[in-house]
Amino acid sequence: MIKKEDLKEYASKLMFDMKDEEYEVLQKEFIYILKNMEAINKIEGIEQITPMTHPFIMTDVFFNDDKVKDCLKTEEVLQNAKEMENNEIKVPKVVG
Amino acid sequence: MEYLDLTIKEMHELLKNGEITPLTLSKAALERAYKYQSDYNSFVTILDDALNAAKDLDDNVDNPLYGIPYALKDNISTKGILTTASSNILKDYVPVFDATVVTKLKEKKAVLIGKTVLDELAMGGSGTTGHTGIVCNPWDKERMIGGSSAGSAAAVALGIVPFALGSDTGDSIRKPAAYGGLVGFKPTYGRISRYGLFPFASSLDHFGCLTRWVEDAAYVIDALKGKDEKDMTSLPDDNKIYSELLDGKVKGKKLFYIKEIIDIDTKDINQEVQATLDNFNFVLEQCKELGIEVEAVSIEKKLLNALHPTYITISCAEVTSNNANLTGIIFGNRQPGDTVDEVMFNTRTDGFSELIKRRFVIGSYVLQKENQEKLFLNACRVRRIIVDKITELFKKYDGLILPATGGIAPKFDQKFDKLLDRYLLLENHLVIGNFGGFPSITIPSGVVSNMPIGVNITGPILKDSEVLNMAYALESQLGYKGIMAKGGNKNV
Repeated sequence: MIKKEDLKEYASKLMFDMKDEEYEVLQKEFIYILKNMEAINKIEGIEQITPMTHPFIMTDVFFNDDKVKDCLKTEEVLQNAKEMENNEIKVPKVVG
Repeated sequence: MEYLDLTIKEMHELLKNGEITPLTLSKAALERAYKYQSDYNSFVTILDDALNAAKDLDDNVDNPLYGIPYALKDNISTKGILTTASSNILKDYVPVFDATVVTKLKEKKAVLIGKTVLDELAMGGSGTTGHTGIVCNPWDKERMIGGSSAGSAAAVALGIVPFALGSDTGDSIRKPAAYGGLVGFKPTYGRISRYGLFPFASSLDHFGCLTRWVEDAAYVIDALKGKDEKDMTSLPDDNKIYSELLDGKVKGKKLFYIKEIIDIDTKDINQEVQATLDNFNFVLEQCKELGIEVEAVSIEKKLLNALHPTYITISCAEVTSNNANLTGIIFGNRQPGDTVDEVMFNTRTDGFSELIKRRFVIGSYVLQKENQEKLFLNACRVRRIIVDKITELFKKYDGLILPATGGIAPKFDQKFDKLLDRYLLLENHLVIGNFGGFPSITIPSGVVSNMPIGVNITGPILKDSEVLNMAYALESQLGYKGIMAKGGNKNV
């Protein structure tokens, strides 16, 4: 069984924590998940295949010109921030 | 006459003739929205301002969506309107820009009447994990409507709006459509710009719509499709008008179904699964009546068994990355902390539900250096094998046809079915449409135990018009088009 400390570490890397009892549920869920995931590795010759990261090859992918446009106004950027000071988003002090 | 029970085309004619106004429709939609909200919980936000928007429209009835009320899943960015993704972490978030689909619907002068509940951050298939509560199935309040586009499906099934937009990463439009007796269509990946859609798994995410008629779905996609400079994965417009290409002429078309998904040991299995399989046989007979040839095709079971774990692996991996911006610093429900890291940590710990965190941990696990090759990259390899296989079959066939689900909508308190393994593939095959970006549509195909069920047709990429037309022909043949759970006289 996957260790609770390992699950805690994976969660921590994504910057959150869970309750002890939630890790226990997840531990049990992982038994089922890992068993299911075995199906992925049962496909013969899989190592020869190029991984697919997009549904199909797109031949018409474009890049926008490197021009500034559609900029948000400062008040729009700040609209959803919880704390502000001097037209900037306020966060806890990061330097001494 | 209950105007909201009509098709978009019928409403459009009445608007054109001046028999009704956009205000008539919006008023009726809001009345129904409020009437059903406490029982079914379709909406996070109901927009009373829709009445002003309807009043302010000019008199130029220049397109089929003019004055038509609609709803949007609450993971679609709407400038100045609360957009929560049904998550506590975004419970106060008000976007500062419109998604491209919203801009397009504004240009068409459609009237937004509300933002609908989803499974938190679009992860989930039950409609039970939104931060404002569960969504109930309009056909039976004790049952789920499915998800994640739960509120959008419920709003259309209740006859509140003739169409609602949803997003579909695994089956999030097409499965609720089946459970709600609706049409659920997601076109080819990139056909509709995803700009302004809160991403779940970018390589699998699609926009789409829920309606009660295939023709209505065609009108909606006509309005939304096209290239968008704000989404580099959007496709150039195919310059077709899908609604005008619906002629029901499907004689000579060829479909296949996957034998291993249908061949289930039905001994002791619940009667609704059996009835769903019987209904599928009925659908196949009706296809033949239409002159559509249907053949059974065999695909290695080993490969099919890998469908669901491949989906879980890829989607959970992508979602961990896509939601890294939910920190509470620039937006979101910030929680206190002594350092920037602590603020982010506490915000995410407090803001995500347990279910979301579990999915994130799975994503984190498959992306660990020691697991990447064996799990994440191998899942991406399986994806290619499946997509190549289906694409190869599409050289011979015009589409894949299968039951949309393994049965009727589950009850909220339904116990885990010990025989689920036998029909697991039947429940989880719709991801094929997302793996390959194939256009895919669910339409109602029958009623089992007073609940609707659906059939799904998936076609080759870029063949959106052809998929719609096959569904259009079949919906007339099957006799369940336009069915409604509540609010109308067309319920069954």
